[in-house]
Amino acid sequence: MLKIENVSKIYDNGFQALHNINLEIPDGQFVAIIGLSGSGKSTLLRCINRLIDPTEGRITWGTIDITAAADDELRQIRRRIGMIFQQFNLVKRSSVLTNVLCGRLGYVNPVFSLINYVPGNEKERALAALTRVGIADKANNRASTLSGGQQQRVGIARALMQEPDLMLADEPVASLDPATSHSVMRYLELLNKEDGITILCSLHFLSLARAYSDRVIALKDGRVEFDGLPSEIDNERFKQIYGEDAVEVEIH
Amino acid sequence: MIKSDSRTILRRIIILIGVLVGFVIVAYGWTVTQINLDRPQEPVRQQNVTNALRELLSPNVFTQDYAINSTTTSILVDCPADGGTPETPAAPDDGSSYIVVTPACASEGDIITVTGYNFYPDTLARLNWIGTDGERRIRQVIGSEDNNFVVGSNGTFTAEIEVPRIRGSSGETHTIEVQDATPSGPVRFSDTTALVMEKMVETIFLALIATLISILPSAVLSFFAAHNLMRPVKMSLGSLLIAFALLPVGWWLGSLLLGAVGNFAISLGSGQLFAGSASTLIIAFGAVAVARRQAIQPETLWFRVRGVLMSLLFAVITIAVLGLLGGVGILIGTLWHEGILGYISAFVGSLGELVQLLIPTLSGITGAFVLGSAGITLTRPLLKAIDVPVEHILGAVLGVICGGILLAFSATVGMQAAWLGLLTPVIAAAMGGAVLPGIYNRLLPSHPAKGTFKTILRLIGAAALFIITFMALRVERAVVEGVLPPTTVAFTIGNLVVYEYVAKAMLIGAVVGGISAGIAGTRAQFPVGEVLYNTTRTILNALRAIEPLIMGLVFVIWVGIGPFAGVLALTLHSIASLGKLYSEQIENIDNGPLEALQSTGANRLQTIMYAVVPQVIPPYIAFTMYRWDINVRMSTIIGFVGGGGVGFLLQQQINLLRYREAGVAVLAIAIVVSILDYASASIRERVT
Repeated sequence: MLKIENVSKIYDNGFQALHNINLEIPDGQFVAIIGLSGSGKSTLLRCINRLIDPTEGRITWGTIDITAAADDELRQIRRRIGMIFQQFNLVKRSSVLTNVLCGRLGYVNPVFSLINYVPGNEKERALAALTRVGIADKANNRASTLSGGQQQRVGIARALMQEPDLMLADEPVASLDPATSHSVMRYLELLNKEDGITILCSLHFLSLARAYSDRVIALKDGRVEFDGLPSEIDNERFKQIYGEDAVEVEIH
Repeated sequence: MIKSDSRTILRRIIILIGVLVGFVIVAYGWTVTQINLDRPQEPVRQQNVTNALRELLSPNVFTQDYAINSTTTSILVDCPADGGTPETPAAPDDGSSYIVVTPACASEGDIITVTGYNFYPDTLARLNWIGTDGERRIRQVIGSEDNNFVVGSNGTFTAEIEVPRIRGSSGETHTIEVQDATPSGPVRFSDTTALVMEKMVETIFLALIATLISILPSAVLSFFAAHNLMRPVKMSLGSLLIAFALLPVGWWLGSLLLGAVGNFAISLGSGQLFAGSASTLIIAFGAVAVARRQAIQPETLWFRVRGVLMSLLFAVITIAVLGLLGGVGILIGTLWHEGILGYISAFVGSLGELVQLLIPTLSGITGAFVLGSAGITLTRPLLKAIDVPVEHILGAVLGVICGGILLAFSATVGMQAAWLGLLTPVIAAAMGGAVLPGIYNRLLPSHPAKGTFKTILRLIGAAALFIITFMALRVERAVVEGVLPPTTVAFTIGNLVVYEYVAKAMLIGAVVGGISAGIAGTRAQFPVGEVLYNTTRTILNALRAIEPLIMGLVFVIWVGIGPFAGVLALTLHSIASLGKLYSEQIENIDNGPLEALQSTGANRLQTIMYAVVPQVIPPYIAFTMYRWDINVRMSTIIGFVGGGGVGFLLQQQINLLRYREAGVAVLAIAIVVSILDYASASIRERVT
């Protein structure tokens, strides 16, 4: 159970991205977070693994208080929280395999990282993760030579290396074409169904949220505007979330 | 009709004033730099510069051997009274050179014409008059101020000379001789060229070694000088102060205990090559095996202690391996003395000695680091548990210790040279900046100081502390009179002598440190990264501001004239310069991978190794090449102050006014720099 209590975030420039957010996310749920650009989706996701420190409030995960964790405790918490990004955030000049192995860094002795040594069984694990997302044959290619969809799958494989219990996906398909989007979303669905990983995924398209998620949370100006089943979002709710002029676009 | 706005008019007036002020500034600069259009037009100066440039542009790169041929004919001085003329000798029919004098007899002071045939074309020749006494007298061709003249391109020449006055030789037959230089043997490089080449090789390697040595230090420094990496680094004040207070103890213990380990390893390694190498390998493999077992652990006391012991073990092993390698290096240094093996052996031996020199320092640093981080690890739960009143009391106690240590250290540095005495007031001021806003916020917690007001409070506090420290330590004596601080002994602990000067600084540091850390409390977050960033940047900028020429002067005093001084000067400057360039590359990287690796639970070191390093390697290679190129150019200048290389040669030749030889050096520099420039450009293109 991930519990977000009274979380607010005010950036140094005075912009308030989150207003007093309260959420409870049970284990194993596939949650879609929707909302306009700037509504606070990315900030909320980053507050959960503390890539951004919330200004106020508390985030707990099971018995662990994430917001109170010191640096080394935080690293241990982060090991169990995978994250994938809109821009994939791969090291473009490194090989696909190296990128995937990076997901394991939290488990490796930092001294080894100085000499770029990776224990042998970790390589097998990385290849297994790549096989799971269907691109084991690209293991030795440079990450920059892969297409967008393939890069995002490498991102998923990297997160898989962490053996996560929770996966944060920050607009994972916003840079991809519709067909590839569905393929990436299906991998996330697979992780949710097969491995029981809780997934928090921010999305632009409501149709994707309807297709894959168990629950939709809509943010508007840093506040929770809607929290419920995807099917509950009708035209009126839609205009509430996205504004009066918005028209729903389907992605197939 | 458009009404002109008063603001527009004001702006125009300001611009006009700005232009006028700019004009005055340039005019003043014109006078200060003594720009004078008459001087370049003076004929003497124009002649001088033409000559110098002409010689510079005629470098004696090549040379050739010449044979001096002598061709003679006779002339009767004073024509016979009977009016008859002596016979003109006939031209030889074998094609060899000959000269004809007309008329064949003449009196002293007469002008005669000498015509030569079948000479080597375009060669230099001179005319000698050989009297009956057998003495050679050079006759200058009329209309020339040079002893030599040039033979025409068809091998003939015509020259008019005056018959010399040689007493008592009237009626005798004199000899006219033409000496000409005929090339013999092939064109080859001159001795100057050989010397310049030798020095050029020295220059290239001087620049290469300086660049290579500077890579590692500047790469390490660049991470501390990159704002995007350092800005997020924060630490709780309590942890920081504990670590800081432990640094001197750690240094002392480290240089004592680890130093002993290192020295033992060196003696083992240098005594026995086989035993040394074998134990290096065994220890290194052991270390890897031990480290592999260590996984990241839950937060219990036992695991904390274990972690500390592990890092201690790791430090001991590192120093031991380093010492063994150094020892083996020293041993290898004694093995060979000649040929390529000799070079290698001397080099490895020198590296071994370097390790031996550095072992005490490295041991100290490692000890300080291990003890400091052990302090942080072991006290973290404690610091986390304590609450408001204790937090401030502990902060004050730690602040007293750390403030004292910091200023005592800076005062010790300040005792070395008069103006270094300014360091203590400056650091005290930096600490004092935190005091006033802290007190204010403590007194009025509802209206915390913000923005400009906070800045003013900071400045007042800083200024106050600067003045207090300045007065207390009597820094004005150092600054005005250049006197070192007095070495009055305040007290002694064992055989450690503490001077009054240091003790005073320590007291100020303790008071300021105690107050500011006491107010802030141990749980306050201290921006360690910002402080490290600013310190590194300041040092790099200061180093970069010092011309390598001046560094060269200092190193020539230290290690004597020669390329070694040049290497040291260029290395120091390259570290500063590359450090800055490298750090800018880090600031330009894509931050996405950084964020991604942080989110996986990687620590800062791992994030840097896997997300930053791969991104900066191509620009690092490019800038290193570029730096080599710069260093070749700079080393020619360093040579002027005795830093070795081709510059030293160039300076000597310029001082001796041998511009043709100097021209060879200039040409060589131009060629090498252009080749390097081209090579570095193409490599840069390839790696990015």
